Formats: sequence, structure tokens, C-alpha cells
Amino acid sequence: MKKLGPLTIAGAAGLAALVLPLVGSDYAVSFSIQLLIFLVLAYSWNLIGGYAGYTHFGQVSFFGIGAYVGSLLTFHWNVPWYFAAVVAGVAGGLTAVPLGGAMLRLKGPFFAIGMFGFARVLEAFALGFDSITQGGTGIYLKPLGDLRPLYYVVAGVTAIMLLLTWKLDNSRLGLKLLAIREDENAAESLGIPTTRLKIGAFVASAIAPAAMGSLYAIYLGFIDPPTAFAPNIELTTIAMVLLGGMGTVLGPLFGAVVLSIVNEVLWANYPQIYLACVGTIVLLAVMFTPRGIVNLGMKSGWLAVGRPLFRRLAARAGQPS
Amino acid sequence: MPVAELLVGGILLGGVYALMACGLNLIFGVMRVINFAHGDIMAIAALSTVSIAVGFKLPFWVAIIAVPLGCAAFGALIHVVILRRIEGAPLIMSLLATYALSTILVNVAILIWGGGYSGLPGVLSGSVRLFGINVSISRLVSFICALGVSLAVWWLLEFTRFGRAVRSVSRAPELASISGIAIERVRLATFALGTAMAGLAGVLIAPAFAIDPQLGSRFIIKAFAVIIVGGMGSYPGAILAALILGVIEVVGSYLAGAVIGSAFLFLLMLGVLLVRPRGLLGAGIRV
Repeated sequence: MKKLGPLTIAGAAGLAALVLPLVGSDYAVSFSIQLLIFLVLAYSWNLIGGYAGYTHFGQVSFFGIGAYVGSLLTFHWNVPWYFAAVVAGVAGGLTAVPLGGAMLRLKGPFFAIGMFGFARVLEAFALGFDSITQGGTGIYLKPLGDLRPLYYVVAGVTAIMLLLTWKLDNSRLGLKLLAIREDENAAESLGIPTTRLKIGAFVASAIAPAAMGSLYAIYLGFIDPPTAFAPNIELTTIAMVLLGGMGTVLGPLFGAVVLSIVNEVLWANYPQIYLACVGTIVLLAVMFTPRGIVNLGMKSGWLAVGRPLFRRLAARAGQPS
Repeated sequence: MPVAELLVGGILLGGVYALMACGLNLIFGVMRVINFAHGDIMAIAALSTVSIAVGFKLPFWVAIIAVPLGCAAFGALIHVVILRRIEGAPLIMSLLATYALSTILVNVAILIWGGGYSGLPGVLSGSVRLFGINVSISRLVSFICALGVSLAVWWLLEFTRFGRAVRSVSRAPELASISGIAIERVRLATFALGTAMAGLAGVLIAPAFAIDPQLGSRFIIKAFAVIIVGGMGSYPGAILAALILGVIEVVGSYLAGAVIGSAFLFLLMLGVLLVRPRGLLGAGIRV
């Protein structure tokens, strides 16, 4: 049996993505936009969380910043949504530069709590400064008539993120980031400029989510602080990367597709226990497949074997639990 | 500005933060696990207290005894079923596990108690006059209980055999293990103790605050702020920082409104993280 490589799978996915809006129903397009937004979030998180190994619990801050920058631009000045998304992405990147410089000096749990706290600060500010953000009432935007242009834009960004990750995975830069993940002090001692690379990965992982935040607001036609800074989005994103395989090219793709479909089914049928189900999936993934679907695929032989995953996790594989 | 009222109000609030943060800190110190579900355990404890007092019409002291015991049992269960299995895995695994647990608990709490607010009317109501200030009895009682238990646990850690075992597992698990300390049992006991403290904090806030299933996420971030400012793993630091942050929150809310007031806490936390990550009294814990 011929094993599937990243190019085959990504190519098939790309083809499906191109054809879908031509043949699919409005519901399919709408669902796919959500899926693709989460794919971009997952690929972005994968850069800093999967490759550089930083426990980033505040990506949703950039998502929220983008959502507000984009919404305010379209709401007050009638800026076209695609242009607003670009500005939102730039705003996210610009926020990430000083923030990364400050926060990335922190390690492990400190970084996690710091970023988690940052998201909550922003949410509190979005609620508190209601003269600008309209606080808890939220901002209502003009809904888009046809979702297909939005779909193509989001799909394009997804393709860029996938290609970027693939390039990264096959480059010295990717190896350097992995070295930081495995042992930051050792990496530093080998002459890898860890601080610069970490900040680079952090900023790179902030731009696309900010743009997606803006597009998500357009997609919903509405934004308020609990939506923009929802911890739920954070959890879902990380769960997708974890489920697929952290620090891999295809992991976020598998994780996002599987989890989005599961989410959609759950949300349609059991909305009252939706969160508990997502939580349970994450718990089970943490306990039983911490290396993700990609690893299962490699072990069972239908996926081409790539670089070994999370080595510290691999070392634990033989241990009795 | 009513300085004395704000000061007293802040310190009384800080007592509950202290109890909560101490439990969280204890768990972090010994297990290197940041328990995101800590606040939700507290919320469920508070809601159970309402059920016990209003639903079953039992006296309040039944809840004070039963709920922390129930929480301890639940904590032990979490430790055995989940956390023990992912010991030694990268930090992100335990973070994700407790984060996921937290969403599950919130959802279950909403299913059981509904999403609305509930309270305990008639329990410890009224107020007393202290130093010329009116202080609500419920807040005073919860402050005294919370600070008393926090100090008692501190005593337990400093002066008992069990406490020495806990501290040595926290400082150097390998050395503790070869010195004959059953580190697994110590971890289990510590996690159960930590969740019991969260449970007691929940019981104590029930008469003083309006409670709902989402309460946990609002409190957990304040508890994070407390342990960061006080120093991660530092017990006296957490108590001190809890009182300071209680005052800052109350004064901040008075000056700038509740939402921005609580944002002050996070800003202070971010500031401490950047300037002095080990906190006020932290020993620079190994992570």
C-alpha cells in the first residue's frame, strides 16, 4: 500500500476546498468557513505551541484584538471587510512584538498564566471601555449577503499557513524551534538565538488569528467581549492541535477536521452538553493519545513516517501508567 | 473616599482569596500542576451549599463539614483517574487536562443548577458594628474561617511530619523518594487537601456572594493573580498577597467600577510577572 505523504493529503484537501463552494449548499459553505477559521487558528497555535513548545493559553487575545479592530473599522468607517482583516492582522502582529518580548522571558506555567491573564485583561477592558466597544451590548455589523468571497479568503489564508508550516517543518528554522521545545538551555548553548526565534514564532502565530478574529466577526455579523475572547475558542484550538499531533504539518488539519465535525454534530443535537463533550474529548486525548492522530497514522502504516513527535512524550511511551 | 470601609471590605474579601489561593498554591508546589478546575470546584461547592441549606433545609454547619469532605474525595478521584496518569508529561498536558476538566465541571453545574444566580438568604445575615464600621456577619464569618483554615494548614505544613513530607516532595521529589517518603501518597493527600480547601472556600462564599456556575472562572484568575504576586509555591506569600489584592480590588472597584477594578488585579499580576516573576515572598521555585 502506498503511504500517504503530506503533499498528497494537502493536495486532496486543497482540491476539495476549491470545489466545495461550487457544488456545496450554503450550509456547507458556512460550516466550512468556521472549520477553516479554526484551521488557521490551529496552525498558528502550532507554531508557538507545537514547534517552540510554549504553553500558549492566550491566543484568543489576538483573535479578540483582531475582532474588535476589524469590527470597529467596518462599523465606523465602512471599511471593506477584507481590508479591515488585513489591518486587524497587522494590529495583532504589532501587539505581539512588545508583548512577546516581555512575556517570553517567562517559562512554563508563568507564561501560561500570564497569557491567560492577558486575555482576561483585554476582555475586562472591552467590557469596561464601553464608549469605544459598546461593552456587553456588542457591535452589530452588516451581514454579508454571499459568504463565498469570505470562504475563498479564509481558504487562501489556510493554504498559506499550511504551506508555511510545511516549509518550516523542512527547514533549519523548524529544527531550531524544535530544539527550543526539547531543551531551551541546550539550544541556547548550541548558539541558537532562542529569544529572537521565540519572539518570531510568537509574532507569526499572532497575525493570522487577529485577521481571523476580524473575519469571524464579519461572519457572525456581531461581536461582544465574551465572543471575542471566548476561552472556548482557545480550548477548541488547542484541542485540535493536540488531537491531530503537536508540532506536525498534518496534525492541525486532521485535528481541526475531526473536531469540527464532532462539534457540529454535538452542537446540533446536544447543545446543553456540548462543552462537557469537548472537555471529555480533550481529557481522553491527553490521557490516551497525547501524540495525536498523526502518530496513530504513522504507527498503523497508512501515513508516511515523518519526524518523531514530542520526544519527551515518546520517552514515556514504554512506561506503565 | 471611605478609607476605613474600603480597607475592611478589602481585607475581608482577601481572606477568601487566601483560602482559595493557598489550595491552588499547595497543589502547584507539590505536583507542578496548575489546577484550572480549582475555581469550578469552588463554584460547585458553593452551589451544593445552597442546595443543602435551601433545598434540604439542613443547618449551615452541615455544609461546612460535608462539602469540603466531598470535595476532598472528588480531588482524590481526579488525582487517581487523571493526574497520576500524566505525571512527568510536558506541562501542557496537565494544563490541558485541568482546563478541560474545568469546562466539564461548568457544564455539569449548569445542567444541575441552571445558569442563573442563587444565594443563601437568611444564613448569617445582618451586620455588626466594628470600630465604627458596619460589617456584614456573613463576610466576617467567612473571613475568620478562611484565614483560620489557611493558617492552620500553614501550621500543618511547617510543624508536622506530614507537612515536612509535603515540603520535601515539593522541593526535591527525587530526594524525598529515596529518603523513604511515599511521594505518590503525599501527592494524593495534597491534591485532596487542596481541593478540600477550594470546597471550603466555596461554602464560605455562598452566604456572602451571589453565586452561579460561571463563578469559578471569575475567581480562578484572581487566585492566579494572588499566587503570582505572592510567589508561586510560597504559602505566607499567598496569604499576604491575598489580603493586599483584596484591598486593591475593592479600592479599584470603588474608583473605576467593578470591571476595570478587577482588571487592575490582572495588570498588577502581569507587572509582577515581568518585573519579579518569583513574587513578593517567592523562593524562585524550580519548574
